[in-house]
Amino acid sequence: MDVRELAMQQLKTVIDPELGINVVDLGLIYDLKIENGHIDVLMTLTTPGCPLHDSIAGGVKRALEQIAGIRDVRVQVTWNPPWTPERMSEEALRQLGYFA
Amino acid sequence: MSNVFPTRTGTETDVRLPFSFITFAVLSFVASQVLLLTVIPSLASGAFRLPLVWAAAHLGLLGFALMTAMGAMYQLVPVAFLTPIWSVRLGFWQFAVTAIGIVAFAISLAAAPTRAFLPGLLLLLGIVLFVWQMAMTLRKQETKNVMTLFVATSLLFLLLTAAAGGLLAFHFFAATGADSHETAFVLHVLFGLCGWFTLLIIGFSYKMAPMFSLAHGFSLRPARCVYALYTSGIAVSLLHLFLSGQVWLMVGTALLTSGFTVFAWHIRTILQKRMKKALDRPFQFSVTAVAIGLALHATALAAIMIGSGRWIGIIIYLSAVGWIGFSIIGYLFKIVPFLWWTHRYSEKVGQQHVPTLKQMMNERAVAVQCRLWLIALALAAVALATASVPLLAVAQVLLAGLSVAFAGTMLAVFRK
Repeated sequence: MDVRELAMQQLKTVIDPELGINVVDLGLIYDLKIENGHIDVLMTLTTPGCPLHDSIAGGVKRALEQIAGIRDVRVQVTWNPPWTPERMSEEALRQLGYFA
Repeated sequence: MSNVFPTRTGTETDVRLPFSFITFAVLSFVASQVLLLTVIPSLASGAFRLPLVWAAAHLGLLGFALMTAMGAMYQLVPVAFLTPIWSVRLGFWQFAVTAIGIVAFAISLAAAPTRAFLPGLLLLLGIVLFVWQMAMTLRKQETKNVMTLFVATSLLFLLLTAAAGGLLAFHFFAATGADSHETAFVLHVLFGLCGWFTLLIIGFSYKMAPMFSLAHGFSLRPARCVYALYTSGIAVSLLHLFLSGQVWLMVGTALLTSGFTVFAWHIRTILQKRMKKALDRPFQFSVTAVAIGLALHATALAAIMIGSGRWIGIIIYLSAVGWIGFSIIGYLFKIVPFLWWTHRYSEKVGQQHVPTLKQMMNERAVAVQCRLWLIALALAAVALATASVPLLAVAQVLLAGLSVAFAGTMLAVFRK
């Protein structure tokens, strides 16, 4: 498994505690740059002024730091472009009861 | 890419501060409901102006509702307005002053109402410190929005409520016997229920409703209409106190009802745009409180049109419990698990399995409590309308029992 796949797997362990859905399926991860043991994450949250901002962004950083060989992780949160529901996976929609 | 923020916003508040307020609030709630058990016959006959009723009402409205609002604002203002609390140290001092002020004030109201003015001053100081703290915090917000407008106006009304309350206490203290006592009382109730609590809950609902329902693609434009109608309603109702005739009160209440109707409709349209189809029980309860608020506004308008003064007292009581109390209870079921989760698990996300917020509370118990709260309110409404002492006793015993169960549910979160 390459580092990118490992990173995505790790990110799936970071759950939004309000919705119970991981950050990948929620479509919060915009970009992931991996280079020489450094990871740069560009991500968003479902709403600006989210009370879980620090918890989720910090969780992303800690999850990626656990990958062997990764020395440094930088997480940046952006509102541009803003998150939209279209970014969610089918699994996330299913968990939200969208198909019920 | 612009608008990029680091991992930490630096806007998180020391959780001990909101917890101090909320713990005090939950205990005050139990005390207020138990105290009301002792005055059931008077309440059923429509006699609300009694020392023990004043003490219970102020323990409920100040000890529970005001302290919860303050605690929640210490947590929510930084995250919702993206600006840190101006001085957390002042926050702890403000908590101590306000808590001591409320306890002393409630005891004075129950035991010696004519002496309530002096502890009232301490309480007033606590409120002034809070408004100052929030004003300095909101001042630093970079981009003001409609929520800022609602919250800032509600803070202004909090000051006015306290001032009118102070005036009222002074009348008792100085035994002035002046006619303005009645005016001060109406100002106190109008500013407190409509200006402070209602505008505050409406303002924060515009953050909470989309957040808890994951609603997207809605317009916030009707919120300005809600603001204009509701604040005009308060202003026109004020005219009634200084101009003769019921017409100003009728027009004012019609404006308040119109504003609240647009708000209820707006929340409904926001929820129609939600992605989270199954709303959780506490949030559903807060939405039910909006429906109760709407029904009570309409009933108040009808009561004023037919000139029924007795109904106004009942509507004020039901609004305090069903609209303000239930909104706060619903949101507390969400806020307390969130605060404790942040304290216990925030730094563990990404390193180990952590519970979801839903798992922090016994949802089944919450669902049962929410239903029982509604039943208790309905019983109280029928009991007050029919002046039935036995039925009011049943309703109040149920409310007191529920306040204890509510406190237990809140405290159980700390074991998670």
